[in-house]
Order: sequence, then C-alpha cells, then structure tokens
Amino acid sequence: MMQSSLMYKIAGLLFGAGFGFVLAAAKLHEYEVIHAMLRLEEAYTFLLMGGAIAVSMPLLWLLDRAKVTTLLGGQLALSRSKVKKANLVGGALFGAGWAISGTCPGPAVVMLSSGAGLAVLTVLGLFLGLTLRDRQVARAGGSATVGDGEQRMASTGS
Amino acid sequence: MQIELTEFSDGRWPWWIAGPALGLLVVGFFLVSNQPLGASGAYAETAKVLTGRKDAVSWRVWYLIGIPVGGFLGITLVGNGFEARTGYEPLVEAWNSNWIVGAVVLVGATVMGYGARMAGGCTSGHGICGTAQRSPASLAATGTFMAVAIATTYLLGFAGVK
Repeated sequence: MMQSSLMYKIAGLLFGAGFGFVLAAAKLHEYEVIHAMLRLEEAYTFLLMGGAIAVSMPLLWLLDRAKVTTLLGGQLALSRSKVKKANLVGGALFGAGWAISGTCPGPAVVMLSSGAGLAVLTVLGLFLGLTLRDRQVARAGGSATVGDGEQRMASTGS
Repeated sequence: MQIELTEFSDGRWPWWIAGPALGLLVVGFFLVSNQPLGASGAYAETAKVLTGRKDAVSWRVWYLIGIPVGGFLGITLVGNGFEARTGYEPLVEAWNSNWIVGAVVLVGATVMGYGARMAGGCTSGHGICGTAQRSPASLAATGTFMAVAIATTYLLGFAGVK
C-alpha cells in the first residue's frame, strides 16, 4: 500500500496523537523535567525511557522472529545499521542542542500546544537546523542519513 | 548526587505507566505501518512540504500534527491544562531577559535539528525506536547524545542555570 494513502495518514495522525498524549501525561514537554534528568537529579525520565525499551525491544524481537505481516506495510522489517561517523558527530550536536533548549523534537511541539510562547523559537530552530543539513547534503550530491529510528524515506517511497 | 523520585510526581503518570505505554505505541506503529515512531524524520518531511520541495502531503506530516494535538489532550485531561507562559522560566530567571533566552533557545534548537538530521534520528527515533530494534547505529547515537547532553547541562550550571 502506498504511504500517501488515507489509511497511512490516519495511522500517522492517531499514533502521533498517542505519542503526544503520553509525552504530556509524563510532563516531558516541561523544561524542568528534562533539565532535572540531564542534571542527574531525577531518575524519572531515564526510567521512563528504559520502561519503553523494556516493553518494545522483546516484543519487536519476537514479532520479527515470527515474520509478522504488518497491517499496511508488508512484512515487519527492523533496521539494524552499522555505526557511522555521522551517528556520533550528529549525536553530539543533537545532545548539546537538547541540553540548551531543554526539549527534543517530539516534546517541542507539545510544549508549544501547552502554551509555552518561546517554544515557537524552539520549533522554528528545529526546522531551520534540519533544513540546513538537508540542503548541505543535497548540495554535496548525496541524500540525508536515514537513521534506524527515523521514518524510512527511501525504501518504501511516498 | 541525589535522585529525587517524588518532586515532579504530582499529576504526572508514573514512569512505569508512561514508559510501557510509549513502548506499546512503538510496537503498535510497527505492526500497523511498519515504521519507527521517530519525530525528527517527520520534521524533515514537513519542512520539505512547507518549502515547496515536495508536493504530496504524506502521513509523516499528519504524524507531526498529531503530536501537539494529542499533547494538548494530555495536558487538558492529565496535566494542569493550557497555560500561557515562556516555557523557559528557569532560563529567564537565570539570565533575566526573554530576548537572550529566546536567542539562545533558537540557536540551541537549530544545532539540535542539524544534529538530529546528521545522526539520522533523535531521542524518540534513535533513543527508543532504534534501541528497541537493537540497532548498533542507534545505540551509538543514543550513548553519544546522552553523554554530551549531560556534560552540556553540567557546563550550563556555570552560566547560572541551576
């Protein structure tokens, strides 16, 4: 099924909303929560991420082994790429920006819809930075890194 | 170092509810769409549509719209509700200027966006979805951004951010 289909869009909207709901319920859109985590003053967010991985890692492993067919996207395919330099350099830049802005791409838009005025600049900056990288890579004649955790752009078309 | 478990727990879902719920959403999205639930890729796709480099509005744009909509519901139903504020009160307190905080946040977020695109993912993408797939690239990216973010936060302490 084409990823531009209505079903894909509905699934995207619903799972995006579910993701945003949990982020808000855990207050991960609050600067103070992320800051307390990164100052190593509060274990909450580390435990939350660990809890998410503890549930999803074994389930994905089992579903992958069972060669499950997904509802819209064919047989379940996990990505397990080798480490590249871009993962490390990009990760370091991301980490520095994350600490300064006190939020990351998902929670940033929740911050905005929770009434945080300066989050307009956070979201704007994210768009700027991502586009800057895309343009730089395009000028060099390549295509942007598609990470194992990012939406797969190349493999299934749109 | 003191680990404080209760300070923020008022009105928040406990981690052992929110974490597994997030994990189930990740697995659910794989089962429906065969895609990882990462946020930065959705930004990149939306940026392309907004700047006219892509015509078709794909599901990733709808996904990015869904996050703040669901977030608003979560804030209304679980949290303290919509509240107009800067969102960066500790920084405003430290530097005493919305303009300085705004400029720093804009630069920080730009670096974050650039880094996410270069690394191929962010906290949700590499940190949760990539790690759950047991991807070496995601594990390396996650370890790097965690370490650098903790170090940067420590350094921000010298700039008055407590």
